Amino acid sequence: MLAQLYKYRWQYVMIFPAVLLLFLFNYVPMAGIQIAFRDFQIGSSIWDSAWVGFQNFAFLQEPQFWIVVKNTLFISVLKFVFGFPAPIILAIMINELVSAGFKRFVQSVSYLPHFFSWIVVAYILQSFLTLDGGLANDLITKMGGEPIFFLGSESWFRPMIVSSGLWKEVGWNTILYLAAITAIDPQQYEAAKVEGAGKWAQIRHVTLPGMIPTVSIVLILSIPSLITVGMDQIYPLLNPANMQVADVLDTYVLRTGLQQGYFGMATAIGLLSSVIGLTLVVLTNQISRKLNGEGLW
Amino acid sequence: MKRTSGEIISQIILIVLMLLLCLSVLYPFAYMLAISLNEGTDAAKGGVYLLPRAFTLINYEIVLGNEVIQHAYLITILRTIAGTIAGLMVTLMVAFGLSYTKVPFRKSILSYILLTMLFSGGLVPLYIQLYNLGLINNFLVYIIPGMFSAWNMFVMLKFIQGIPEALVESAELDGAGPFRVLLQIIVPLSKPMLAAIGLFTAVGHWNDWFAGAFYVTKQDLIPVQTFLQQLLSAQDMSAILGSNSNQEALARGTQMQNVTLMSVKMATVMVSAIPILCVYPFLQKYFVKGVLIGSVKG
Repeated sequence: MLAQLYKYRWQYVMIFPAVLLLFLFNYVPMAGIQIAFRDFQIGSSIWDSAWVGFQNFAFLQEPQFWIVVKNTLFISVLKFVFGFPAPIILAIMINELVSAGFKRFVQSVSYLPHFFSWIVVAYILQSFLTLDGGLANDLITKMGGEPIFFLGSESWFRPMIVSSGLWKEVGWNTILYLAAITAIDPQQYEAAKVEGAGKWAQIRHVTLPGMIPTVSIVLILSIPSLITVGMDQIYPLLNPANMQVADVLDTYVLRTGLQQGYFGMATAIGLLSSVIGLTLVVLTNQISRKLNGEGLW
Repeated sequence: MKRTSGEIISQIILIVLMLLLCLSVLYPFAYMLAISLNEGTDAAKGGVYLLPRAFTLINYEIVLGNEVIQHAYLITILRTIAGTIAGLMVTLMVAFGLSYTKVPFRKSILSYILLTMLFSGGLVPLYIQLYNLGLINNFLVYIIPGMFSAWNMFVMLKFIQGIPEALVESAELDGAGPFRVLLQIIVPLSKPMLAAIGLFTAVGHWNDWFAGAFYVTKQDLIPVQTFLQQLLSAQDMSAILGSNSNQEALARGTQMQNVTLMSVKMATVMVSAIPILCVYPFLQKYFVKGVLIGSVKG
């Protein structure tokens, strides 16, 4: 055994940084979850803080918390309903383009927004939607309507999130589907043509079935992210005016924890969502085992 | 091949739809560019859609003359370079070490890594740990915690396992140790994979605003994206005029009157977006390959 360990000593040297970094930035914080059950103040030691039982979970009785839960689920379901089918449809459309050059052009352009931050996306929304000469309100007033304060509106918040999310990621998410389509045997199309199948029939009976394995993998992998709705996207657009619909679990933790200093409570909320997340991942793995015969790991 | 008229019509509809899609992607940048090159008070009246109406460079003079922005740029560039190199080196090294299937405890180490992908302590305990390690208000907070990426490691591991073992074995017979094998055999053969992962890592660093917003309070440590995030909700121009070195431009009072917060904001965001727009066409061939390497399940 020792001889084996010695034989691979350099491999251990190579692996060690990962063990150390994960220990410092993943495992120590996991042990820090006990803050959820302690009365902790920053600067003091976690281990010396007094135990307070479930006192930090009092947020469960606050109406605001349940509003946040509702917002989180609402936004994630909306994003899924629009965001999941859109790249599938777009991939099929791109694939049907006859000109190879134009196809490449469309792909390149549609991947572009993926490389910009959500902050830039927020600026784009602000520039179009501002009351001071923004394009949207400019057109609305020209057509005789009343200007709308989109960025501070509760009813416009969700459409804004869904559409800007689509704008940023729909093209990028076609990559896997386009690869799946490319892998379809051209003979299948030939056979379908011989049997007199038109374009629609070919898409229905050859392209779509060829995409199914990829679609199901993407579907399965998106389940765990149902409770994390992209704080990166939401936080920059969050303001007091739309708070009642825009506040989600991640932003709630951020505000109560890092900004207001309720470390115990924020950790407790974080723990709750981590547990739900883990449950979803394990469930997903079970589903994947049943359907594909193998799990995610 | 003969096409039916139905096919031609549907092809035309498809092309129009795709052109609209491309337009919706590109137009916002053209629009913001026009606003940023226009006098602010004039743009606020509306109607500037594609070309500036009252052309001016004053917005860019203000932005580029701002010391905070200049410094934020320096931070962004430094962290992108250092973070990408450190991230690639550490993660590749780990992946290569783990590619030796006979390493004792390999399975346990893999589980140790995998578990961190499934469960996390959450934001607050991480913050407290960063605080205890002295990483709050420290440039290294941008580099060290992200140096090892479990996800990238598994992608790299998968890739390395695809390299013929005979190459590694023959080098070992020549007396090369693991580090020599890594540098002389694995790195040259992994170039496309390293380019792709390096690109994603670099973009991640370039676009990250979160660390700068919550792990750092000193203004001279924030990156461009965090500056943008703070400016997004600014109510007046003090955020940007307060620390301007370009007093000459500010002295031209008549021009300053025509500057609005929105026009300066647009110039700032364009300054952050233009580098990406410029390098994007050259990097395309790497990232598609990168996504596909990552999608092959390990």
